[in-house]
Amino acid sequence: MALRRIRDPATAEPLDRGLVVWFPGPHSFTGEDCAELHVHGGPAVLSGVLRALGRLPGLRPAEPGEFTRRAFHRGKLDLTAAEGLGDLIHAETEAQRRQALRQMEGELGRLYQRWSETLTQALAHLEAYIDFSEDDNVEEEVLAQVDAAVRGLAQELGAHLQDGRRGELLRGGVHAVIAGPPNVGKSSLLNLLCQRPAAIVSPAAGTTRDVVEVSLDVTGYPVVLSDTAGLRDATDPVEREGVSRARDRLQRADLVLAVLDATAVPAEPAALGAAVGSLVPPAAPCILVLNKADLLGGEAGALRAACTQGPPVPPATLLSCKTGDGIERLLELLGQQLAQLCGDPLAGSPSLTQRRHSQHLGDCAAALGGYGRHRARDLGLAAEQLRLARRHLGRITGHVGAEDVLDIIFRDFCVGK
Amino acid sequence: MLCRGPWRRLALPPPSPGARRAGSGAAPGYEVLVIGGGHAGTEAAAAAARGGARTLLLTHRIGTIGQLSCNPSFGGIGKGHLVREVDALDGLCGRVCDLAGVHYKVLNRCKGPAVWGLRAQVDRGLYRDNMRKEILNTPLLTVHEASVEDLLLTEPEPDHPGKCRVRGVVLGDGSTVHAGSVILTTGTFLRGMIHVGLEKHPAGRLGDQPSVGLAQTLERLGFAVGRLKTGTPPRLAKDTIDFSGLEERTADNPPVPFSFLSKAVWIKPEDQLSCYLTYTNLKAQQIVQDNLHLNNHVRETTKGPRYCPSLEAKVLRFPNREHQVWLEPEGLDSNVIYPQGLSMTLPPELQEQVINSIRGLEKAKMVQPGYGVQYDYLDPRQLTASLESRLVQRLFFAGQINGTTGYEEAAAQGVIAGINACLRVRGKSPFIVSRTEGYIGVLIDDLTTLGTTEPYRMFTSRVEFRMSLRPDNADARLTLRGFEEAGCVSQQRYEQAVKMKAALEDGIATLKSLQFSISKWSQLIPEVHLSSNRRSPMSAFDMLQYPEANMEILARAIPEPLGKLAEWRELSERLKIEAAYEWCVVNQQQEIEEVRRDEALQLPEDLDYFAIDASLSTEVREKLSSNRPQTIGAVSRIPGITPAAIVNLLRFVKNKHQKAEKLKAFPQTDKCLPGNMYLEKAASQQQISAELSEEEMESTFVKTPV
Repeated sequence: MALRRIRDPATAEPLDRGLVVWFPGPHSFTGEDCAELHVHGGPAVLSGVLRALGRLPGLRPAEPGEFTRRAFHRGKLDLTAAEGLGDLIHAETEAQRRQALRQMEGELGRLYQRWSETLTQALAHLEAYIDFSEDDNVEEEVLAQVDAAVRGLAQELGAHLQDGRRGELLRGGVHAVIAGPPNVGKSSLLNLLCQRPAAIVSPAAGTTRDVVEVSLDVTGYPVVLSDTAGLRDATDPVEREGVSRARDRLQRADLVLAVLDATAVPAEPAALGAAVGSLVPPAAPCILVLNKADLLGGEAGALRAACTQGPPVPPATLLSCKTGDGIERLLELLGQQLAQLCGDPLAGSPSLTQRRHSQHLGDCAAALGGYGRHRARDLGLAAEQLRLARRHLGRITGHVGAEDVLDIIFRDFCVGK
Repeated sequence: MLCRGPWRRLALPPPSPGARRAGSGAAPGYEVLVIGGGHAGTEAAAAAARGGARTLLLTHRIGTIGQLSCNPSFGGIGKGHLVREVDALDGLCGRVCDLAGVHYKVLNRCKGPAVWGLRAQVDRGLYRDNMRKEILNTPLLTVHEASVEDLLLTEPEPDHPGKCRVRGVVLGDGSTVHAGSVILTTGTFLRGMIHVGLEKHPAGRLGDQPSVGLAQTLERLGFAVGRLKTGTPPRLAKDTIDFSGLEERTADNPPVPFSFLSKAVWIKPEDQLSCYLTYTNLKAQQIVQDNLHLNNHVRETTKGPRYCPSLEAKVLRFPNREHQVWLEPEGLDSNVIYPQGLSMTLPPELQEQVINSIRGLEKAKMVQPGYGVQYDYLDPRQLTASLESRLVQRLFFAGQINGTTGYEEAAAQGVIAGINACLRVRGKSPFIVSRTEGYIGVLIDDLTTLGTTEPYRMFTSRVEFRMSLRPDNADARLTLRGFEEAGCVSQQRYEQAVKMKAALEDGIATLKSLQFSISKWSQLIPEVHLSSNRRSPMSAFDMLQYPEANMEILARAIPEPLGKLAEWRELSERLKIEAAYEWCVVNQQQEIEEVRRDEALQLPEDLDYFAIDASLSTEVREKLSSNRPQTIGAVSRIPGITPAAIVNLLRFVKNKHQKAEKLKAFPQTDKCLPGNMYLEKAASQQQISAELSEEEMESTFVKTPV
C-alpha cells in the first residue's frame, strides 16, 4: 500500500493523490491479481479516474456480482462470506434495477431506448442478410439501410458523448459554488444543505484544502457543492491564497450561490443587483441567498418583495440557516436552475450509474466505428462489431437475445422456402 | 397395443440390490438400439457402432434408410456448419453428400469464411443408396425391419435421476429385443397426420405408417408432448417446365466438398446441374385466399416453422408481392423437379392451378401434390445435454422428435445421441459439445435449456462465437475430442486432423516470425495495399490479414520458408482465414473462458427448485424448474434470470456439495424412491403445447394393462 499521485496515463494530468493497494493473487479477494485505488470521493475526482481507467485497453466496469462470481470460481469464498455478499449484491442489483427503471422513464431513457431499438433492428437486418440473402428474398437494399442506420447512430452517440456542458453536467454533476463576503453564513448554508435527509451526501476534502466539496442529489440532479473562503481583500498570505482560489472556483462555477447578510443589504432592487454583481462573474447563473433572515425586523417585507423582483436581482430568497426558514424555497430555486442547466428531466440518476453509462456508450460508439471498418471486407466481422455494440448498449437498456433478433427477422422479411 | 413393459412394476417397492445384476450388463442382445432410419437414426447407429457398441438399427423399411423426405439438398447457411461438425466426428452425411451431389454451391461467398454455407443439391437415389451401403457395411451394426410398439422398462439405477430405466423394446409381432441404451429417432412418425386439403390420414411420411403405440407409451411415462407441423411442396415433371427465360443459377467450379476426408466430390464440375429461379404472382395469392376454407392445415393453430413457411403462410403474412420459387433438380437422371418455396396443402387440383399461374410452369405437370404433416414432439427440456431422457434412464432422443427441423439438425443430434448411448453403456462420462465449441453445442444447449415452440432450425445468428466456430476449422474443434473421448473417430481421420493442426500451428509460427517494417513490406508485396502507419515491424501473418493478400503472394516475395507452405492449397486457405479472424478470436477468448467456466459448474439433475433453501423468487424458481438447466452457464441464458439469482444458486450448490462430501463418511441410505414419488415428479412436467389439434391427449400415469 502506498500514497501516490494518480495521473491520467494518456495526458499525464494529475487526477488525485490517494492510496494504491496491490493484492497479488492468489491471496486477493477474487484470487486474481487485484489493484485498488483509494481516491477522494468527489464526483469530479471519481469520474476523472474512472474515465482514465476506461481508456486503458482491456479495462471495463465489472458486471453486477462479477467480483463475487470470480471469487467463487477460484474457490475463494467461504460460505459465511458468500452469504453476506450475495445479499449485498442482491441489494446492489435491486437498487440498480430500480435506478435503471427510474431513469428509463426520463427523456434520456427514451433516447437510449430508441437507440437500442435502432441498433437491434439494424443487427437483425444484418443477420437476416447473412442467414437468408443467398436464396431468399432479402435484398441488397437491406444492407444499405443497415449502413445508414449504423452511421446515423454513431453520429448521434458521438454527439451525445461530446455534447459539452450538458452531457458533462449530467455525467459529472453541476459544480455549484457558495460565495460571499466572510461571516455571512456560507459554511452554515453548506451544512444545512448537507443535513437535508433527502440529499445524498458524501463529504470529502477537495484537492485544494481550503475548498470544502460535497456531493448532493438535489431533486435528482447530481450537484458538487463547494464552500469557499469569504471574498475580501485579505492581508494574511494564507487567507489571500484562499481568496484567490475562491475566485478561481467562481470563474469555473456552473452555478453560484451568492450569500449576503440580509441585515446588511439594501432593499432597493438596483442596489441589491449591484451588490450581487460585484461578487459574481457576469455570465454565471446565480441564486441569491439572503441569510440571517431571523435577525430581520421591519425591513423583511421590503426585502421579500425585492427577492421576487426579477432582474437585475437574480432568483433570490430569504433564509435563516439558524432556524431553517426559507430552505424549501431555496431548494425549489435550485431545482429550477438545475433543470435549466441540465436540460433533461433526469429523474434520480446518481452519478455512479452515469459514469457506467458513459463508458458503455463510449464502447458502443467504438464498436459502431469498427462496423464501418470491416463492412467492405468481411460481413461476419462487421456483424460481430454490431453484436458488440448491442451488448454494450444492452448493459444500459437490457439484454437482447438471439430470439429477439430472430423475431425481428421474421417480422420484417418473408424468408424461408 | 401390447403392454408387456415391466413399467407396470413401477409402483412396487424398491428392488433388492441383487436385482440390479439382471440389468443390461448381463443381458444378451445389443448394447445400443436405435429406432428409426432417418438422418438422426443413421448417424446415431453408425456413431454408436464406431464407438465399439454392438448396435441394432430398427426401421420400418430398409429401403427407406437415408430417404430425403423433403428437399433434395443438404447444407446451407448454418446447416453447412452442422454437416462439417458431424463429419468432424466421423459422421456419415458429409461423405455421402460428396458421393451424391449434383450441384455444389458455397453460399455467402462474399460475406466472409465464418458464415460460408456449404450446400449441395443431391440426387435422391444416390444419396439413399450410398447411405444404405454405409449403414449396411458398418461393422458391429445390424439392421432389422420391424415396428416398435413399446418400451421394456425396469427399475432405475440408483446413482442417476429418472423414474425407470429402459432395457429394450417390444416389437410389432410381440417379441422383445434387449439393449443397454435405446435411441428414439422417429421423426414425424409419432402420431403423424398428413393433410392435403380437407383430407387427412395418419402417416409419418407419404406412404409410411405412423407410430402410435410408442407415442402412447411415452405419454404414459409422463413425457410432456407438443404438436408441430411442417410441409413439403408438390413435385413437378421436369420435361413439362419451360426453363427458357428463367434465371439460371450454376454450380461452383470447382465444387467444395463437405467432408474433411474428401479431396474432391464424385461428379465432374462441368457435369453439375443448374437450378432455376422463378416467382409467384398475385394470381397464386388469389387462389390461396379464395380457398382458405378448403385448407385445414393452414387454418389450424399448430405451430409451423416461421422460416420454412408454406406458400399460404407467405401470401397471408406478406401479401401483394412476388415470392421466390427455386426449381431444383431431384437427381441426375430424375425427371422430377422440386419447387422450393411452393410448400402447400391446398386440395391437389388447386395446387395445380397455383403451379400453372407461375412463369415457366404454365404447362407443368404435378407428379405428387404438396402436403402438410402434423406430428408429436417431446419437450427437449426433458433431456440432458447428452440427449438422454431425465425421466427414463438410458433412453435417448434425437432428431425431429425433439422439435427440430432439417436433415442437418437431425444428423447432428444423431451423432451426439449415438456417441452418448455408447458411452452410457460403458459407464463413461458423457460427451458434451459446448456452445463455445460448435454449432452442435448451440443447437443442443438451446433445445435442452430453452426448449422450442416451433420447429427449431440452425442459424448462424444463434451462435455467440460465430467467428471462432467456422466450417473450415470444425476438425480442429471436434475431431481430436471425438477420437480421444468418444472413440467415434477413425484412426485415419484422427491422424489427418492431427497433421493439419500441427501444420497450422507451425505455419502461423513461421508467418509470425517473419517481421519487416511497413516500407519493406510495401516493396516485397506491392500488390497489397498497405494502409497501416505502424512504426513497429509487422509480421507476414499481419500481412495475410489484408483482403488482397494470400499465401501465394507472400511465397513469391519470400520463397524461403513460405514456398513450401503455399504449395499445400488447403493449408494456405486455412492460414489465410486464421489470419483474418485472429484478433477477433483473441478478443473473444476471455468471454469464451467465462462461458466454459460457467458450463463446468454442473447443477444436480434432481434439484427441486421449489424446495431448496436459497434466496430465489418464486418467478425464478418456476423458470428454473421448467427449464431444468444443467449448468450455471445454462441458467444465465434463461430469459429473466438475474445475476443475483445466479450467485444465490451458486452458493446453494456449493453448500450442498460440501455437505455431500461430509456425508460420504456415513453409510449411504437407499436412494431408490418409491414409484409414487416418481409419478409426482412426472406430474410436475407440464404439457407444453395447448394447441393439440387432433385428439385430446390424456396424461395418465397409473396404468392398467390392456
